[in-house]
Amino acid sequence: QRFRFCGDLDCPDWVLAEISVLAKISSVKLKLICAQVLRELLGEAIDYEKILKLTSDAKLESGDVKATIAVLDFIFSSAAKHNVDGESLSSELQQLGLPKEHATGLCRSYEEKQSSLQESLRACSLRLSQLDSVSWRVDYTLSSSELRDVGEPLVHLLLRLRGGTAAAVPVAVSADKFRVLLAELKQAQALMQTLL
Amino acid sequence: SAVGELGRLAVELLRRGAAPRACETAARKLNTGVDTIQHGVEGLMYLLTESSKLMISEIDFQDSIRVLGFSEELNKLLLQLYLDNRKEIRSILSELAPKLPSYHSLEWRLDVQLASRSLRQQIKPAVTMKLHLNQNEDQTAQVLQTDPSTLVHLIQQLEQALGEMKTNHCRRIARNMK
Repeated sequence: QRFRFCGDLDCPDWVLAEISVLAKISSVKLKLICAQVLRELLGEAIDYEKILKLTSDAKLESGDVKATIAVLDFIFSSAAKHNVDGESLSSELQQLGLPKEHATGLCRSYEEKQSSLQESLRACSLRLSQLDSVSWRVDYTLSSSELRDVGEPLVHLLLRLRGGTAAAVPVAVSADKFRVLLAELKQAQALMQTLL
Repeated sequence: SAVGELGRLAVELLRRGAAPRACETAARKLNTGVDTIQHGVEGLMYLLTESSKLMISEIDFQDSIRVLGFSEELNKLLLQLYLDNRKEIRSILSELAPKLPSYHSLEWRLDVQLASRSLRQQIKPAVTMKLHLNQNEDQTAQVLQTDPSTLVHLIQQLEQALGEMKTNHCRRIARNMK
């Protein structure tokens, strides 16, 4: 059987197995655990101690606690990835054996954070490099070893990239070339505006 | 009991590498030089690794060490040491084989090129992938880009490769390996 929150594919076996573990936790405590997992997905630190305390009633082993976090992580991020609404997620989870109360609580937590989740997933999508800042300087070349009176302006650009390699690319451009560059970039910007 | 101590040191040497302080304490306890202890431990380690590597049977092991002329009790101790630690030593040895970079994860994105400096009004889809690889705790990444038809071809090739596992030839070999 196909599930929307799994991207219209079969539900992975491990998820099926862990949903039965989720049913062992009370629905109130499950909602609190969901809040913790959602915080971690949105970039904040996870409070593992708190989760251990919340699962202590259900007498889960340490492996089961980690599996609980993993399955909630999967459900939330996969549902957000495939843009599944809370209602559909709730009905699909119930089909997989999650009790109604648990599914309702889980999906309510999901709905509150769905758009923030999707924003954060969008932000960490693959990107090759990202421009961080541009600094510039205009010089005037007076003279050189080739020609005594040069008298030309020169633009120096420093493009700083964001991310892992964090390289800085220096570029020196003559006045004419710079005018061409600027015109082309303005055309590209106009094209982008038509798409927004 | 001294042999037991040396045996334990030999196995620790295999698990974690040299432990000079442990050798010194053992030397003091047994009233011998540190060098003697070290050679003894290394010799024991060599005996254990070679035997485990070749998966020697009990009888072959006993015959081999009988040549050394130790007491029967000592031979029995050595045999026990070998049998107790053989499995673990073999698993440590299996990790020493050279490794190729292995798959860690794959990120991808689907883009459509709409215009370029030279040509407007285009529709050119492209898939960009970042392949993350692991090699002995080094992480590297390769960026690749392809168009949809090459991607379909790539998927077909990989599915064919997986399909090979189900042919009679592969099944025969897999059966004979067990």
